[in-house]
Amino acid sequence: MLRYLRLHRIFISQYLKRLMEYKTDFLLGAIGLLIAQALGVLFLNIIFSAIPALEGYTFEEVLFIYGFSLIPKSLDHLFFDNLWMVGYSIIRKGDFDKYLTRPINSLYYVIVERFCVDAFGEMLTCVLLLIYSVPKLSLPFYWYTIPLLLVVIVFATMIYTSLKIITSAISFWTKASGHITHMLYMTNDFAKYPVTIYNKAVQAVITYVIPFAFTAYFPASYFLTGRDPLFCIGGTVVAGTALFLLAVFVWNRGLKAYESAGS
Amino acid sequence: MENMIYVENLRKEFKKIIKEPGLKGSFKALFKPHREIVTAVDGISFEVRKGEILGFIGPNGAGKSTVIKMLTGILTPTSGVCRINGKIPQDDRKNYVREIGVVFGQRTQLWWDLALRETYAVLKEIYEVPDDRYHQRMAFLNEVLELDSFITSPVRTLSLGQRMRADIAASLLHSPKVLFLDEPTIGLDVVVKENIRSAIRKINEEEGTTVILTTHDLSDIELLCERIVMIDKGRKVFDGGLSKLKGEFGQMRTFSFELQNAEDIRKLGYHDHFKLSDDDLSLSVSGKSVSVKFNTDKVKVEDIISYTLSSVHIKDMEIRDVEIEEIIKRLYKREVSV
Amino acid sequence: MTRVRRFFRTYIPFSRAGVQELIAYRVNFLCFLIGEIMSAFIMFFVWKAVFNSTGEKAFMGFTMEDMVVYLFISFLTGYLTYSDGAFSIGEEIVDGSIAMRMIKPCSFDMCFLFQELGNRLISIAMIFVPIVAGVEIYRYVITGVLRFDIRFFLLYLLSLVFAYLISFYFNVCYGFMAFFFKNLWGTSLIKETLVSFLSGAVIPLAFLPKGLALVLNFLPFASLSYTPVMIYMGMYSVSQIIYSLLLQLFWLIVMYLLSKLVWRSAVKRLSVQGG
Repeated sequence: MLRYLRLHRIFISQYLKRLMEYKTDFLLGAIGLLIAQALGVLFLNIIFSAIPALEGYTFEEVLFIYGFSLIPKSLDHLFFDNLWMVGYSIIRKGDFDKYLTRPINSLYYVIVERFCVDAFGEMLTCVLLLIYSVPKLSLPFYWYTIPLLLVVIVFATMIYTSLKIITSAISFWTKASGHITHMLYMTNDFAKYPVTIYNKAVQAVITYVIPFAFTAYFPASYFLTGRDPLFCIGGTVVAGTALFLLAVFVWNRGLKAYESAGS
Repeated sequence: MENMIYVENLRKEFKKIIKEPGLKGSFKALFKPHREIVTAVDGISFEVRKGEILGFIGPNGAGKSTVIKMLTGILTPTSGVCRINGKIPQDDRKNYVREIGVVFGQRTQLWWDLALRETYAVLKEIYEVPDDRYHQRMAFLNEVLELDSFITSPVRTLSLGQRMRADIAASLLHSPKVLFLDEPTIGLDVVVKENIRSAIRKINEEEGTTVILTTHDLSDIELLCERIVMIDKGRKVFDGGLSKLKGEFGQMRTFSFELQNAEDIRKLGYHDHFKLSDDDLSLSVSGKSVSVKFNTDKVKVEDIISYTLSSVHIKDMEIRDVEIEEIIKRLYKREVSV
Repeated sequence: MTRVRRFFRTYIPFSRAGVQELIAYRVNFLCFLIGEIMSAFIMFFVWKAVFNSTGEKAFMGFTMEDMVVYLFISFLTGYLTYSDGAFSIGEEIVDGSIAMRMIKPCSFDMCFLFQELGNRLISIAMIFVPIVAGVEIYRYVITGVLRFDIRFFLLYLLSLVFAYLISFYFNVCYGFMAFFFKNLWGTSLIKETLVSFLSGAVIPLAFLPKGLALVLNFLPFASLSYTPVMIYMGMYSVSQIIYSLLLQLFWLIVMYLLSKLVWRSAVKRLSVQGG
């Protein structure tokens, strides 16, 4: 375990060295993500200029949920972005061979190899949104609020990452699955808004099938109101754990099916 | 001596989607993809002794890389057994790969954007090589592979020859017991090839590393390998030493001589005289020099010589064994039955 | 006439390649489509909540039915006018294979155009009819009257063609930017988010502050999505339609000329680099 953490540190430091070489690329990527999120906020701003509340949620509350949704999303993006490449090219081109000839866990290896600084664009939006909204909301605060928040962040990120692992692992059978990851990833936008605006079917899907609702709305609403901790926080923990176990299982099955690429 | 590698009845099947050509074929594939099972490796068995250098050869698509990938734990065999140093690669991959080094000539395993030195530092951590051992190892690899001149350059800026040396060094950092080299000399010039061959020989001699190498360059085989396993269409077609290969398939000889008179060539009618086909006898002429390649199973050496001497006047003459390359070419073309 | 025939004989194979490419990657295409249409549904729910919250029938001149038509038709328009030729150009510039295109005896942009048209053909067959039919059925069920107007629809198609060509040449220009930024990921993200906002794909331009809306209406981005959608919805008067079609034509010519200009300077640069 310690060895793995040390390796991760080495990979990140190597990555930062590389970063210096491609400064503009990373800067542009981060700016792009920042603009994308900022326009989303602008959109909310325009809507709220005409209505006082959205299905009972005030502007600040919606911004809080929106900002909260970016915490696990940006963390997943920052640390585990290389999974995209697994589905898009690594397996199709046979480059996955390299990960299998090393004496470390292949999933761990492929994940830590890249560290995606572009995510700072999302992170910045997230921080700005929370800085703006939190003081305007009277959030219930207890001694365990912060530790609980940290726990939620870990498990919410696990939900994102596990879903990416599962969809990327599909390419062990199909050679490429980046588009499936993309499709699933698009659903995460559902989590940016209060789930009460959706109909029952959509709510059920994003709660129980692709549980993105547990990455933002449910935990965020607990921190907003202090109500229903068992479902809101417990659900995130359960969903994160279950998906992660499933992801590891699928990945390992996939390794057995891996066919490499013709010489 | 004990066996380092033991392979028995190894098989690997792939599913393949067959697409018919053209627009029509594309539409068909859209609704009803046609799947076929392709057997890439079809029951191969062989053993490799400790410290041996084994040449693994065969035409393109014969299944060489697939075998190597099963031996290195990348692919899971459909059936059959492979055991390396008593371990089955797929059973405990992570521990197994500590004992082997792998180089794929076609693609680097180094980090494209990192300086070479950094790459080794990362590998040191991955393989948990202790500091003192690492320094000692780097000094040795430096000496054998001459990495010094480019060790601070990013991998993407290395020439192909430098990159290959760097890749081989990377695969040896953790002192593996077995080294797998998949086309280590592909695309390199003669000097670099020689460089790499001598490095492989040195490592094999000094550390007793068992080496399996695939190649299309037969000088690699002649200069490095004591033994060859040849496969074709997923099956083993030959297993043995170079001398055995020559003994078994080397019934071809070349008889070369120089005519005193270039026009005399018309007087020579080997095919008609001996009633042989082109497969068993072939003639090549350039100016006054002539060489006749013939199958000693079909016609005796003396007969060829005496027929020649009785027909024309010649200056020099020489009889040679056919080169290994020629034998292998014939094997690939399936001219020699096994 | 023979010249026209020869023109098509030269470029139709590119379209065929486009169709084959799409079929080969059909699953990718489908997943991508589903992923994209998902965002239209998210917006649908957001707007539904907005209309529920106002308590009024109309929001800045749009009823909920209008909004649904707007969302899905602008999704359709955006999807059909999306041009990724730029990315191929950029990639070919970065890896140097653009040289292979220059030695072929055909016009560079036409190859891309016809390849993409082939690709688009299947998309049109697969999503155009379902979305238009879906939207119209929805409108009919909610309002009780059939609002589909063939005249507006035909004008929409015309406007759509203009929009696609503007998008195509705009992206050709952008693709050549790869000469300056070696990497296209970051810039294309910026480009796409900005374009989708400025073209009204995210929020109708009419909802923006007056001055801003006026400027954006004139810029070429509105021609990409907002204009055709407004025509489809029958939101524009005859004079507005004529004005906006002419504006589209204007931008098309500008983009076309610009792409030629950029291409010429890019070729020069290419020979300077020796790549």
